[in-house]
Amino acid sequence: MTVHIRTQEEIAARVKALEAIMIEKGIMTTAAIDRLAEIYENEVGPQLGAAVVAKAWTDPEFKARLVANATAACAEMGIGGLQGEDMVVVENTDSVHNVITCTLCSCYPWPVLGLPPNWYKGPEYRSRIVREPRKVLREDFGFDVPDSVEVRVWDSSSEMRYWVLPARPAGTEGLDEKALAALVTRDSMIGTGAPKAP
Amino acid sequence: MGYRQDATELGDARRRVEALVSGMPGESAPFEQPWELRAFAMAVAAYHAGQYEWSEFQLSLIDSIKRWEADDGGEPWSYYEHWLTALETVLAGNGALSDADLDDATKAVLATPPDKGHHEAHREPVAIDPAR
Repeated sequence: MTVHIRTQEEIAARVKALEAIMIEKGIMTTAAIDRLAEIYENEVGPQLGAAVVAKAWTDPEFKARLVANATAACAEMGIGGLQGEDMVVVENTDSVHNVITCTLCSCYPWPVLGLPPNWYKGPEYRSRIVREPRKVLREDFGFDVPDSVEVRVWDSSSEMRYWVLPARPAGTEGLDEKALAALVTRDSMIGTGAPKAP
Repeated sequence: MGYRQDATELGDARRRVEALVSGMPGESAPFEQPWELRAFAMAVAAYHAGQYEWSEFQLSLIDSIKRWEADDGGEPWSYYEHWLTALETVLAGNGALSDADLDDATKAVLATPPDKGHHEAHREPVAIDPAR
């Protein structure tokens, strides 16, 4: 390992060299790397989790299955994959607000939320959200949780990945699943925000 | 860290932008540099190729982050550098990669940038197929 702080150019060169070695050894192909990069950069994202949430809002039986076994319920909708093996959905209610983090690294339910935003992976969020969740939500995300509501912070790991089922916003009685899904934000499924108002 | 600029106009602006984009697919790109996406995809590709269990990779990633946290005030935070270190570590651990080979290959890449000469103006056609 190098001891000096590497420049972006040096790291980029190292990644390029690693790719060349992997391809030369037949461990992977450029096409496979290109395809995975495309999938995770453009195709897997919070729109998938939003569809699951909207279905849970409109179908009480599906919601019961989602809360009982999120991975199996998502599989019903054809949603699943790496980092989605042991997902647990925590439901927001009038008395409980849930937030997710990963105190050790960056575990996150990729199949429903895509890849985590940079702040989720950073040391500051990971440590502060555990110590002073209500304050972090208010100061860093402009999101006020009323004092009457308990805040629960869930620590994801490689064994179990949490995500949040936000409460269905008021005034959405007439909306169908598609319109509801458009209200579900990534942050509302992390717990650092609320769904959009209709 | 770029993440906490609260209680300022910047913080408000950040929150407004976050609110605007937080529902869009592909928003607030998780990758800041092209190499980050490449390193990310390679780790997934190596896993799919059966090089390691995903949990091994995760443990290696946790180790690298823990070492950074223990080394107070050392290198600046770069999530994907930890990712790359984890990838190198698991590949080296199962014999698919030698650190020395990677160092040599990296030096070779640095010594031959693909755009060598691009800083010079090329004032003549690079090739001519003469009229017949």
